[in-house]
Amino acid sequence: MTRRAVWESIVLAGVLLVQGCVAPQPSQDLLAPTEAQMKIRSVQTRAFDVKDRQLAMRGVIAALQDLGFIIERANEPLGLVTAARFAEPNFYDVLGVTVTVRPQAEGRMLIRANAIYNNKPIEDPKVYQNFFATLERSLFIAKE
Amino acid sequence: MRRALLAGACLVLSSQLAGCITHTQPEELFQLTAESPRNKAMQTRFFETKDETELLSASAAVLQDLGFQVEESVQDVGFLRATKERSAREYGQDIGRFFAFFLSLGKFIMPVDLHQRIAAMLIARPINPEATRQEVRIMFYRVVWKGDGQADRQHIPPGQQKMEMLRDPVMYQQFFAKLSKAVFLEAFTL
Amino acid sequence: MLHNHRHMSRRLSTISRSGGLLLVAGLCLLLQGCPTPYELRHQAQWDSREQIWLSEESQVKLRVAQSRVFDTTDRRRTLEAAVDTMQDLGFMVEVLDEQLGMVSGKKFEPLERPSIGTDPYYHLYDDQSLLIFTKSYHTWGPFWHRSDLVRLTITVRKRNDTQLVVRASAQYYLRAVEDPAPYQKFFRTLEQALFLQGQLVE
Repeated sequence: MTRRAVWESIVLAGVLLVQGCVAPQPSQDLLAPTEAQMKIRSVQTRAFDVKDRQLAMRGVIAALQDLGFIIERANEPLGLVTAARFAEPNFYDVLGVTVTVRPQAEGRMLIRANAIYNNKPIEDPKVYQNFFATLERSLFIAKE
Repeated sequence: MRRALLAGACLVLSSQLAGCITHTQPEELFQLTAESPRNKAMQTRFFETKDETELLSASAAVLQDLGFQVEESVQDVGFLRATKERSAREYGQDIGRFFAFFLSLGKFIMPVDLHQRIAAMLIARPINPEATRQEVRIMFYRVVWKGDGQADRQHIPPGQQKMEMLRDPVMYQQFFAKLSKAVFLEAFTL
Repeated sequence: MLHNHRHMSRRLSTISRSGGLLLVAGLCLLLQGCPTPYELRHQAQWDSREQIWLSEESQVKLRVAQSRVFDTTDRRRTLEAAVDTMQDLGFMVEVLDEQLGMVSGKKFEPLERPSIGTDPYYHLYDDQSLLIFTKSYHTWGPFWHRSDLVRLTITVRKRNDTQLVVRASAQYYLRAVEDPAPYQKFFRTLEQALFLQGQLVE
């Protein structure tokens, strides 16, 4: 009886081993936003009183450059700016950010920033607060 | 018996080394070969339309239909690149690896193809000064990476790569048939 | 005595059966050249060039699951909603073209991340390079990261004078995502961003 149990457990172990060797399947929620991401959406978005979209985008690009980001792409008609940088002095960590600028009302722009650290979205509100503080300075320094 | 095994191992190993004999000179690489016009004809079609944008947009949709992901698009030059990454593991290579392992008495684990990246690169441009005729040229190619292996005590690191231009004419015919249907225009060959 | 014999033979038969099963399983693995678990996670086929072309049936099935029709002609607004949705999902947008009507982005799922310790090359991975040009013929480190790539492409095209077709296609672990469920959730998020109802393509 014990011998049979030993054999069965070996076979089971073998089956389980093979299981780990199957390509991972996409989950149902692959293309659905997570709870954490929905919660953070309000923190990622802020409205600014800027005359037009181009001015706002220039301000965003300037703020990102001040922060040491490399601008990867900028699309004016759709208000998108993508940038990335190393988390210096550590060159193993990469930080990427996607910023969209949308007109909310006349002379008012809605700016949303999405930060990704080492391929994981950042959920800490403080990070976004810091970014918007820098952005505000960059946007209104032009006025002065 | 041992001699036979050794001969078998040598045969298997030499078949692996057979790939790295000739080196092409740089000058040759910049010259057109006899196949160049045939390849170009296979990869090119003409469309009687002014709308280059619509051609590019339809091409992106056709490529999406075939499972490709758009990677880069530069509209000013009518450039579009789409790729898809798939597994490149083949049963034949696995079996070959087993025999190499067996014949080399456990000393040689051959790296096998694991990962491939199939890319489609498309250029659309006007062919006459009035821009009423557009030329669409697409190239399919793939890059294949091997896994790791072992040769006696030496570990062979993974990532050995090779590139292959895909020259199956049926593939190109099918792509242009789909594109033709998507833009409601007829595709002309030269 | 006879009872013992029968009991013995039954035990032996069960042992030999499960042993035989194990032997067959072991032989299968051996005949495939003793593949590592990483290799087994890659789908095998007789000719790897089969992957270039999808079969007609799977194309049609996929097209239905991946497409939705929207009662609007505002391509810009639809694209903006698509970018919003991509941001919600944590994708890095790579391609955005209003005239061609397409958005494409990527992200990495930590599927092959080493469970013990860290691989410093893991995050330095540059998947943009088509051919990795290195002085040494073999590349190292980032190789294990390639399968983690998740890619999403969204195209917005005119269907007729009053409607647009939005098609989303995703790639996950070296395979096209063919399950309609993730796409349903995606379009639900997109609809919310657009305040419109998406209809299935006939």
